[in-house]
Amino acid sequence: MKLKKVLAMVLAAGMVCASLTACGSKTAESSAADTTGATTAADSSKAGDKTQNSGEKKVLTVTTWDYDSSPQFQAVVDAYMKENPNVEIKVIDTSADEYNNSLGISLSAAQPDPDIIWVKDMGSMLQMADKKQLLPLDDFMKKDNFDTSVYNGAAEQLQYNGVTYGLPYRSDWYVLYYNKDLFDAAGVAYPSNDMTWDEYNELAGKMTSGEGSSKVYGGHNHTWQALVTNWAVQDGKHTVVEKDYSFLKPWYESALSLQDKGYIQDYSTLKTANIHYSSVFKNQQCAMMPMGTWFIATMIQSRAADETSFNWGIARIPHPADTESGYTVGALTPIGISAYTDQPDLSWDFVKFATSKEAANILAEQGVFTGIQTEESLKTIASAQFFPEGESNIEALSYTHYTFDRPLDPKIEEIRKALDEVHEMIMIKQYTVDQGIEELNKRVAEIKGW
Amino acid sequence: MKEVKTTLTPHQKKAIRSNLVGYSFILPNLIGYAIFVFIPVIFSFILSVMKWDGSKAPMEFVGLKNFAQIFGDRIFVQSFLHTIQYALLTVFPTLVLSLLLAVLLNHKLKGIAIFRTALYFPYIASIVAVGAVWNMLFQPDFGPINEFLKFIGISKPPRWVVDVKWAMVAISVVSVWKYMGYYMIVYLAALQGISGSLYEAAGIDGANGFQKLRYITIPMLTPTTFFVLIMLTIQCFKVFDLVYVMTGGGPGNATKTLVNYIYEKAFTSWEFGPASAGAIVLFAVVLVITLIQFAGEKKWSKDLM
Repeated sequence: MKLKKVLAMVLAAGMVCASLTACGSKTAESSAADTTGATTAADSSKAGDKTQNSGEKKVLTVTTWDYDSSPQFQAVVDAYMKENPNVEIKVIDTSADEYNNSLGISLSAAQPDPDIIWVKDMGSMLQMADKKQLLPLDDFMKKDNFDTSVYNGAAEQLQYNGVTYGLPYRSDWYVLYYNKDLFDAAGVAYPSNDMTWDEYNELAGKMTSGEGSSKVYGGHNHTWQALVTNWAVQDGKHTVVEKDYSFLKPWYESALSLQDKGYIQDYSTLKTANIHYSSVFKNQQCAMMPMGTWFIATMIQSRAADETSFNWGIARIPHPADTESGYTVGALTPIGISAYTDQPDLSWDFVKFATSKEAANILAEQGVFTGIQTEESLKTIASAQFFPEGESNIEALSYTHYTFDRPLDPKIEEIRKALDEVHEMIMIKQYTVDQGIEELNKRVAEIKGW
Repeated sequence: MKEVKTTLTPHQKKAIRSNLVGYSFILPNLIGYAIFVFIPVIFSFILSVMKWDGSKAPMEFVGLKNFAQIFGDRIFVQSFLHTIQYALLTVFPTLVLSLLLAVLLNHKLKGIAIFRTALYFPYIASIVAVGAVWNMLFQPDFGPINEFLKFIGISKPPRWVVDVKWAMVAISVVSVWKYMGYYMIVYLAALQGISGSLYEAAGIDGANGFQKLRYITIPMLTPTTFFVLIMLTIQCFKVFDLVYVMTGGGPGNATKTLVNYIYEKAFTSWEFGPASAGAIVLFAVVLVITLIQFAGEKKWSKDLM
């Protein structure tokens, strides 16, 4: 009887130990590595930095999203490791949807990892900067006499309260994609690089044909609010953070009219059937589609993999009647350094590399546009196999004015939520445009405390 | 001063030892509970009176400001009302349907286990999969549900998840479908506990099936019904995943519930103070419902004894 009891207690104690070690195994491992760094340097992340012996690897940790499916990080990480054989880069990857959440939570822990942060959208960069989770880069830049002119002003645009928290890594802006085969079949001239939005709407009408499941739409607006509001801020006179949103009215009316006439697919269909814009274009269900330059790499890959075989082209994004051609809307993907990093110098070295001309050319080969636009990188992109042929396609990649789709406002993520909700309500006609604008004015005033 | 007696009687020793054995058995679970439930709960109480953005920066005590802020926030009030709307739309249909199913399936028939399993199945299915499939069924333009409604002559069927008026109904339908199997099992267990002699006696007195249901089954099930009612209500107030998967709180914010609001405050705005205050409000609501249940349970069990 007694023996049984003792046995039971031992078993229970064992379970306690097991549950404790199961929870704490990760920290235990790394602290052990810290103290015995000299012997186990190779397999532990922090240890390499502590010992600094030659031949031992230093480890940098970077955060990315969708690392495996997009070449934009991999190419640069590989190139850096090749040039610096004594540095190993550890990638912490998260899916794009969860990226900001999981990064925010991991930064709350204020740990020395990650060192490098790729910032998914500029709004989250401001949130991190406000929380002092990003290292100001100005001192490094001064020390190295870092030349920001290569970014054509983009680095300055990224400054927040006069401080640089990130440098432009990639840059994307909107262009108009079109399906050459559909235009040829209809005997209509391709969209030109100088088209107003009214002309675009008209062309969308001309290119709409068919019925039911074989219907081809002239245009395609994905469900993002950006695909209406972008054109409202394209002229640079407004941003999406304003006290009065009535400037959005003509743009919503135009989008609704395209939808009513059946020139673009219905918002609620796209939303409820969860249709991705790339499948619409790839399946030749639309003749034209305004979309970001990131889609070029997608289409090139699709052709290379024989997923699609039709011919497509790019034109400049149409422009409002009161501006000239060459105005576009876009966004930057910055790269920054965590404020909690334990190897700031090495991190800065990586950031410098990732935002250099060299990296720009590496990325250009992948069809990715960076903060540095040179003749060479443009040529590299245009010379890629399956990049559409013809001078006009290369000209389409140039712009004269570049407006951010969202301003650098610390409350932008919340405002975006309001914009999304109102956008949805207008597009499914639960709000009139005026009601939507009124609601937006109210919501944004509440968020901003106006 | 009197000398304190340190030696224990054998009886006391035995009691202590057996207590220690008892505690040692609870300990593994208790540690997990403390780390993952108890400490976070205490922490969110603290957070609800603090201003904190989730960074290393120190928290700042703001008293009840967070509560004032959320109660002054239209969106919070709307989310609260949406949650109540969802509860009203979900609780009673689930209750009635699970009771009816339990009564129907409380027979000794060949293959009855198959029907019971089939009805229980949605409960164990992944909520993400369930949400995705129902979203397709509810698709307003070519979804099977609307095709059927058009077939039976409704020319303008509701647009479900993209219609402010119907989106919550759609979510409730899925919820009822998913959870009625579980509560059916609860009712089935209770039905087995009703003595057959009651029905026999009623049968001798000439009661028909409906009368037996009305005057024996339902009254005998009252404590269970009460339990189901309370559990369902609490569950409805905590709803998050189904809404997140099906509508993301949309269209607009028509289906945004309390927990969706808390989630957004915490992980979009990084305002943990107001988010925790919202969580405390939710906690208070659930607490009140639970207290009602405690009181009710005592009453029912006394009545039955």
